[in-house]
Amino acid sequence: MLLSAESVYCQKAGLKLSFGAASYRMDDMKELQKYILSTYPVEGKITSAFPPFSAFSITFVRELYEQIRIGGGYGFSTTGGKSSYADYTGNIFTTMDATSHRFEGYISYVITGGDRIELLLCGRAGANLTYLNIESYYNVLYYSNGSFNRYRSLSPNGSVATELNVNFSGFSIGLEAGYQVDLTGNLKDADNGDELLDPYDREKNLTSDWTGWRVLLSASIWFRH
Amino acid sequence: MIISILIATILLLPSCFYSDSEIYEVEPVSGDPPVISVFTNLDTLVNPPVNDSLEVIYNVEIEGGDLYYVDAVISSIQIFESDSIHGSFWITHSMSAVTGVDTLYIDYYYSSNSNSLADITGYEARIKNLKIAVDFNLGVVK
Repeated sequence: MLLSAESVYCQKAGLKLSFGAASYRMDDMKELQKYILSTYPVEGKITSAFPPFSAFSITFVRELYEQIRIGGGYGFSTTGGKSSYADYTGNIFTTMDATSHRFEGYISYVITGGDRIELLLCGRAGANLTYLNIESYYNVLYYSNGSFNRYRSLSPNGSVATELNVNFSGFSIGLEAGYQVDLTGNLKDADNGDELLDPYDREKNLTSDWTGWRVLLSASIWFRH
Repeated sequence: MIISILIATILLLPSCFYSDSEIYEVEPVSGDPPVISVFTNLDTLVNPPVNDSLEVIYNVEIEGGDLYYVDAVISSIQIFESDSIHGSFWITHSMSAVTGVDTLYIDYYYSSNSNSLADITGYEARIKNLKIAVDFNLGVVK
């Protein structure tokens, strides 16, 4: 009777690694990509426009109550765009590589399940640090030139997901599917802090937007169980 | 377990940064080549003499393209350059390395109309060459 609830219930803590794919809205980046293509002296083509690509995260998870787990960790996503043109005399191309570094808190609630299989509702919230590299180059006969610019933004970020876990002795594997909302961050030049402005509306700042669906496979190692 | 995580990390590393290796390849469709005609005031002369100096006046007519550059050379030395379709320059007897008849080369660089990237950015050109024999004998100081 004198034992606390915490000591009666054996809490577990662990490390969860997730890897999968996510989609990204990136509306401003797609518009910027179209604008850059329109400045080509020839008719180029966008060969990729911020498609769904890989995402992973590492999260420290601690069981707070039998049905509630909390934690925190780091998440990484990447995508990009490319436009290009090439013929026998040379080529011209622009690549836009975007990476997202998320530092986020984690909370989950066990909706149902037993010792072997469990279904959770989980949420994440944190800060999203984005880096965007824009590289444009042309090579024409013996002439070549180009430019490289690096931008960054910081934005609040959150996600909700459902998670299906299969538990084994000391570890779990799972599948997580959910939706991420990025509250967008103004992109600024990483060197001089100049804002990246909309070429069609110089009053408007261009933003990164990682909002989209994501599906991740996960593996968790439990230190205590 | 740790080993399998390490192996998975190594295998997944290449996909940690987005890249697109595709390049949009185009086969340009050439337009009609420009029609170019070049004239000089020396066209009707045979071995025009350079007494003290000789003025060369040129004129270019071009249809369906642009003249980029005119370049005049005597004895491998450039004596004139311009991007104008009309112009003139002087030849003096000191410009030739030989005594007697030497050749004045005038090269006209103009658009190729190949519709390639180099053509559209002005880095690709057709060349029309003009050779004029010029007599430097009379320019020799006796």
